[in-house]
Amino acid sequence: MGGYGDVKLLRDDGLRLDGRKLDEMRPVSIEAGILPAADGSAMVTQGLNVAVAAVYGPMEAHPRKIQRQDRAVIDVRYNMAPFSTSDRIRPGFNRRSREISKVTAEALESVVLCERYPRSKIRVEIEILAAEAGTRCAGLTAAAVALADAGIPMRDLIVGVASGKVEDIVVLDLDKAEDNYGQADLPVGILPNTGEIAFLQMDGDLSPDEYNLAMEYNFKAAAEIHEIMVDALKRRYEGGEN
Amino acid sequence: MVELVPSLLRQELARLAEDDLRLDGRGQWDGREVDLEINCLYNAEGSAKVVMGKTIVYAGVKFELRTPWPDRPAQGSLMCGAELRPVAHRKYEPGPPSPQSIELGRVVDRGIRESGCIDMESLCIVPGEKVWGVMIDIHVLSDGGNVFDACGLAAIAALRTAIVPAERFDVGEDYTLKVKGTPIMASFTRVGGRYVFDPSEEEELGGDERIHITLGDEGHLHSLQKGLRGVFTPAEFAEIFDVAHLRCAELRKLVATQEGN
Repeated sequence: MGGYGDVKLLRDDGLRLDGRKLDEMRPVSIEAGILPAADGSAMVTQGLNVAVAAVYGPMEAHPRKIQRQDRAVIDVRYNMAPFSTSDRIRPGFNRRSREISKVTAEALESVVLCERYPRSKIRVEIEILAAEAGTRCAGLTAAAVALADAGIPMRDLIVGVASGKVEDIVVLDLDKAEDNYGQADLPVGILPNTGEIAFLQMDGDLSPDEYNLAMEYNFKAAAEIHEIMVDALKRRYEGGEN
Repeated sequence: MVELVPSLLRQELARLAEDDLRLDGRGQWDGREVDLEINCLYNAEGSAKVVMGKTIVYAGVKFELRTPWPDRPAQGSLMCGAELRPVAHRKYEPGPPSPQSIELGRVVDRGIRESGCIDMESLCIVPGEKVWGVMIDIHVLSDGGNVFDACGLAAIAALRTAIVPAERFDVGEDYTLKVKGTPIMASFTRVGGRYVFDPSEEEELGGDERIHITLGDEGHLHSLQKGLRGVFTPAEFAEIFDVAHLRCAELRKLVATQEGN
């Protein structure tokens, strides 16, 4: 988290700089099945973020050393396009994207019925085309929709959502300025039907009470985004616009 | 690597959990004895060694003079990295940093950085030109389970002993690095269906997902991380959150005791 209080993030009327209420998320839209070559795919836009996910597989697991005898492994690559931020990002994997890829894969393995596909691999590619804070969550949501779109059996979807803290106030779904100058960020992956948590990270400073409020916001937002995810999948399979 | 599922071990751990027991006889929320040594390496500017059961880690702090980042001209920098070297376990292989060691280093880094215990502006020598870069390197020599807590403890303990080597770099007199507070990590792994504190090597092998909680002196959260395959409920989190407060306070006291020696 960038720093404390040196930039004003809440307006005098109590709303946020972009006019949102404290517990209001940025507008989310989701489309499933957008990539013809992939077995499953999705695009999530959340505010100015654009995240695309593609799923390939299940397929034979290469290299062999990643194979599991009892289940499939999920191989996630989270990647930010060089043009996705204001300063160009050097292409390729860095430590941040490696870590996000790892914990995202572990979250997805928590919901996919991996035991159905021993010794195989499911490849999930997450490409961030525009980044304005909250891309790991948008990417996780996109990956869950893409897996469902690929027809891969899952216990539940996962919704990526984040809350945080700016000017000592807990807010839902930080935008870029709030992320840069705010005091905390709590991204989670929620299973909307069971209410369980499959992805959890946090950095910054949160008291136990602030944590509870942030989580409450996250669960509320997850329910809203879940509807949008289901709607996207329904449109895809009920022969809607796609 | 083909990991054979230790299904007998899993069964045994589940059976023990039913009776609220652990393989090594500890209670659900008991940690292993922690041996902390500070200032134990001659050439590091700050150092610490942590032994927890079969887990052994060292942390060393080094400083370098560097030019500040363009967007933060009056701030120094802090970097924390961890290496899971082949020396530490048969499961680790040589090669570039694995996702496991990257995650480990970054989770420890966030806990320390986000607690605000280092005032980055105090690391500035000439704004826009010269600042201190503080580097904490954690070396895992033996992975006997729960390397996260051992690394977190070694890192903050080492940092708190660090002397800024200003004389060697010709920028004034040596002085003790100012560190406000002692962020501490507490880690929990699901074993036999329920969470336990401070998992051993066997419990990690036959266990499921893990949760890492870093708390500052005031009991505020500074870093959270869930790792590996599995899910948890908010109620389960609430329970381990309470335990984390107790365990972190104890470890913080251990650091203070060592420093008092």
